Amino acid sequence: MKYTDEKIKNFQAYMKHAKISGCAVTDNDGVNYLSDFNFVGEGDAFLFITLKQAYCFTKQLYAIDVKNKAKYLTLVDSLDCEDIVKLAKKLKLKNCVFDTTCTAYIPGTLFYKNGFKEMPGIISANKEVKTKTEIARISKACSISAKAYDIFRKRLKVGMTELQACALLENIMKELGGEGLAFPTIMAFGPESANPHHTNTDRKLKAEDVVLMDYGCRWGGYCSDITRTFWFGKKPSAEFTKMFDIVKSAYDLGVKLVKPGVAASVPHNSVMELFDNKGKLAKYFIHSLGHSLGTAIHEKPYLNTRSKEVLKAGNVVTVEPGLYFEGKFGIRYENTVLVTEKSSKILTK
Amino acid sequence: MPKLDPAKLSAIRKVIKNNGLDSFILTDYNDIKYLMGPIFQPSEAVVIIHAKGVYITARSLYEAPVAADFPEVKIEGCDKDRELKIVEAAKKLKLKKVGFDARKETYFAGKIYTAAGFVEKQNFLVSVRASKTEEELAKMRAAAKIAYKTYKHMAAWFEPGVTEQQGAAELERFMKQNGASGLSFDTIVAFGANTANPHYMTGKAKLKKNMPILLDFGCIYDGYCSDITRTFWFGDKPAVEFIELFNIVKGAHDEVVENAKYGQTGAAIDLIARDYIEAAGYGKYFTHGTGHGIGMEIHEDAYINSNNTDMPIVDNYCFSVEPGIYLTGKFGIRYEDCFYMTKDGMKQIK
Repeated sequence: MKYTDEKIKNFQAYMKHAKISGCAVTDNDGVNYLSDFNFVGEGDAFLFITLKQAYCFTKQLYAIDVKNKAKYLTLVDSLDCEDIVKLAKKLKLKNCVFDTTCTAYIPGTLFYKNGFKEMPGIISANKEVKTKTEIARISKACSISAKAYDIFRKRLKVGMTELQACALLENIMKELGGEGLAFPTIMAFGPESANPHHTNTDRKLKAEDVVLMDYGCRWGGYCSDITRTFWFGKKPSAEFTKMFDIVKSAYDLGVKLVKPGVAASVPHNSVMELFDNKGKLAKYFIHSLGHSLGTAIHEKPYLNTRSKEVLKAGNVVTVEPGLYFEGKFGIRYENTVLVTEKSSKILTK
Repeated sequence: MPKLDPAKLSAIRKVIKNNGLDSFILTDYNDIKYLMGPIFQPSEAVVIIHAKGVYITARSLYEAPVAADFPEVKIEGCDKDRELKIVEAAKKLKLKKVGFDARKETYFAGKIYTAAGFVEKQNFLVSVRASKTEEELAKMRAAAKIAYKTYKHMAAWFEPGVTEQQGAAELERFMKQNGASGLSFDTIVAFGANTANPHYMTGKAKLKKNMPILLDFGCIYDGYCSDITRTFWFGDKPAVEFIELFNIVKGAHDEVVENAKYGQTGAAIDLIARDYIEAAGYGKYFTHGTGHGIGMEIHEDAYINSNNTDMPIVDNYCFSVEPGIYLTGKFGIRYEDCFYMTKDGMKQIK
């Protein structure tokens, strides 16, 4: 994988348009997104983007790697946000800003006191429409997760615990080239599947059992997200089959509505309506229909009832309707979907 | 049945009192996990701890399961503007001195809290989370045992022609087969000159006879991390320089283990390793800090580096010791174990 400065260039074009001369980025996801580099944790690096340069404040241990792979970053051997302020003064930049929604309170206060302007959500807004490179990386992560499902189904056995099945699945993704996890894998057996945010346990898989798996990997710094629910065994209960078909039809409706120009609240609201028409099931759908993803697993725009955005070509969203019956079982079906020029494309396949 | 750990809760309440507050807000994913276990996903809940109880506002889907599992907690669903909900809840609870962690809130949230008269604090839970309970230490030992067993397995596993990625897949498979629930961080497997990059991303390089291998890895057991690094020569003809440098790095590691004292700062402990490597003539090739705190997170406060001049390392603080020397284009060596501090000095987590 080659590191690219195209996101910095796009951001600089945005800055020019918005008459911003400098932007301080201090949160790990924002820094990794713009620099295209993989700094491990919060506080490992900060960026100061001007119209001409991308200054990277980081630790010495990253220096060799940054010099070799991300030549477009100008290295500064400091991790002190005061030095960002000093640099802005030295360069005599007039209109410097920071994103209030992702900058922590301490550096934010420092920037504000030094005349930087508050710009809520500028980083997340720039993340919404993905570049071709970003789409290629997300697609790769998605295809690894989808392939992993097929292999996993052949290797899953009665008696495995949720934790063991989870390890099996994660290892298959690694063998297929996945770099890491997009988020902690959910592997829920039997009634545990009814909890949408289940934590994996030692519960063993029975001969006839429901399995819900919600997982994803990373490739080139980008996430994938997929959920499959299936009946393990030969005798699915009539209720499970019926509910599965309803969830699947909700998913199909959701995907059909995901296209450019559609309000992001519409797919969610339509799925709610569908559930309500199928015997008042809407109250068992207890989360939103989906979210966008990129370098972070949850990004804007969200597919929920409060969403005010309109879908655009280049958005990458999840469509994940579910029904949850406490004490019995839960079903969720999810794919990662790219909004294309005219409609959409399933990436997790 | 999950429950709030009374030892952890009372430790937090003590810090609240010592800071002249009547309550404190937790937003950080790991701070909340520390108290409650892995219930909430990141950014989906905010917790107020006060003298009489614990109040939570979270995404609505958590309301029913959390109310059922934690009878001592009051939870209210809220899917938007949770900061405002917290301000309102604090008012209803008649809290007068609510603290928040300025390092862990966004500027956006911090401004709302400051406007509501909440008190800005820094490093609030650092001492609480750094000082591990016996139960936490037991989990960290279990995670470390898996890692050490995995190293033994891997030392005998390598053969010419395997790639770094295949090595990482085998290493991770073995940890999970032996009870790990996940990885502390993405495994580093580096061959040959790749070992000279302390921040190496495992790649496709193939192993040949007579080159160094560096493994930096760890696993999670019951929510707690392990972290070890080993560098060794693959083949029967180790370069003389490799052996020399290995002995210097191992010597720096052992020097810290023998001489670091209860109550020393992270900077003072870092200096023990740094002085040792400098005396051997390789100071400028030791390009990172000596260690970091470790617990639920792979990198926690209790950093063992030159910046940490004000935090004495005391009762059961857990941290890594991982000196290294990196010769670009040739090879790098790092040697790492994790320890906890006691009045009698450092004890290895194993």
